[in-house]
Amino acid sequence: MKIRLTVNGLAYERDCAEHKTLLRFLREDLGLIGTKEGCGMGECGACTVILNGRAVNSCMVLAVEADGAAIATIEGEASGPSLSDIQKAFQRNHAVQCGFCTAGMVMSVKELLSTTPGPSVDQVKDAIEGNFCRCTGYTQIIEAVMELTGHPETKGELEHV
Amino acid sequence: MVYEFRYLAPKTAAELAATLDDVKSDGKLLAGGTDLIPNIRNGMLKPRVVVDIKKYEGAGRLAFGSDGLTMGPAVTINDLLRSKDARERYPVLCSCAHELASHQIRNRATVAGNVVNASPCSDMAPALLCLGARAVLRSATGERVVPFSQFFAGVKKTVLAQGEFLSMIVVPAESAGTSGNYLKLKRIAGHDLGIVGVLMTRQDGRIRFGVSSAAPTPVLVDTVSEKDDPDEAARKVLAAVLPISDVRGTKEYREHMIGVYARRLFTEVK
Ligand code: FES
Ligand code: FES
Repeated sequence: MKIRLTVNGLAYERDCAEHKTLLRFLREDLGLIGTKEGCGMGECGACTVILNGRAVNSCMVLAVEADGAAIATIEGEASGPSLSDIQKAFQRNHAVQCGFCTAGMVMSVKELLSTTPGPSVDQVKDAIEGNFCRCTGYTQIIEAVMELTGHPETKGELEHV
Repeated sequence: MVYEFRYLAPKTAAELAATLDDVKSDGKLLAGGTDLIPNIRNGMLKPRVVVDIKKYEGAGRLAFGSDGLTMGPAVTINDLLRSKDARERYPVLCSCAHELASHQIRNRATVAGNVVNASPCSDMAPALLCLGARAVLRSATGERVVPFSQFFAGVKKTVLAQGEFLSMIVVPAESAGTSGNYLKLKRIAGHDLGIVGVLMTRQDGRIRFGVSSAAPTPVLVDTVSEKDDPDEAARKVLAAVLPISDVRGTKEYREHMIGVYARRLFTEVK
């Protein structure tokens, strides 16, 4: 089926197999391999992208369902060599270790900040509840968001493990 | 996915009904996809045709009118949670919705899909049962209305006939303002399927319990009265359910926790 969609502001028109997930379409058909496949079953959040303003697991969306949609992926964050604000905050706060969860994590945070510019620690936890990170213990990720949004004082609420 | 199927996206409700009539048992309806797509991927389901229910005019409508709250089949869990009117008028619906899976899944998963799947651990079913909600079922030959108390037929089974789809959920206006709380026991603090879920609602002295993950279908308990004490209330709830042992918990553990939750809710929900 022919689909048209925009990804990170660029318009694409492609013939796409009807059974292909959006995740596979992004990675295989568009070559955007920043978005990762962890479980492929909606458990881990590594494949999170923003679909019409909402963070979704792209492994559970068919590409054909996204016909006409606007999508944002991790590739849309940095411009040239300069990282986005969220990415810089992750970097400053050591919120990245192996990096496998990061693309999805950043997308979940991006959706949160688009609707809630000054989130509480609990709101951040809620937003990234579907993103598994096996390295950082989450604390640095939450700290990155709190520092970015100007609530670094909430650091005390967080425990380093 | 390696498994191949065809994808159809009817543009009107009538076209959808005709399509379902046409594809018969070869077809599977796709709403949020958060169950269907993993199930196709892991080989549990092999539909020849996947029919998208979200793309017809009005499928995503969430509205408040004289008959209450109506939701089309494409209304997501987060659409409901983001509606200020829903949070104010039907807080019980929202406390169950918030317990469902993770944020990303709530952005895709639909209220209708959560009940049509008829999983014993549906989080929305307890709320819809306690609030006296109804399902409007549509097919090529017409429409019928079924209260949710008669909607579930067994594990993963509903009264939906072949060719029928859930075109609207109606939560009656009379149940607006019902107070309540939903306690869900999970293995982890984050998103997970429930081991048990207990909802208690109270409106004008009328008490109801909705229990998930405790029987082949979600259960409505209508027998508890204000005059009962917490132990009596818990006994009545337990008499109505029939938990099983499975990977997530044993029968005994489930019974124990349903009792704990029922007693706690009975004293807490005002
Ligand atoms: S790859 Fe999509 S949730 Fe894990
Ligand atoms: S940094 Fe390794 S999984 Fe999160």
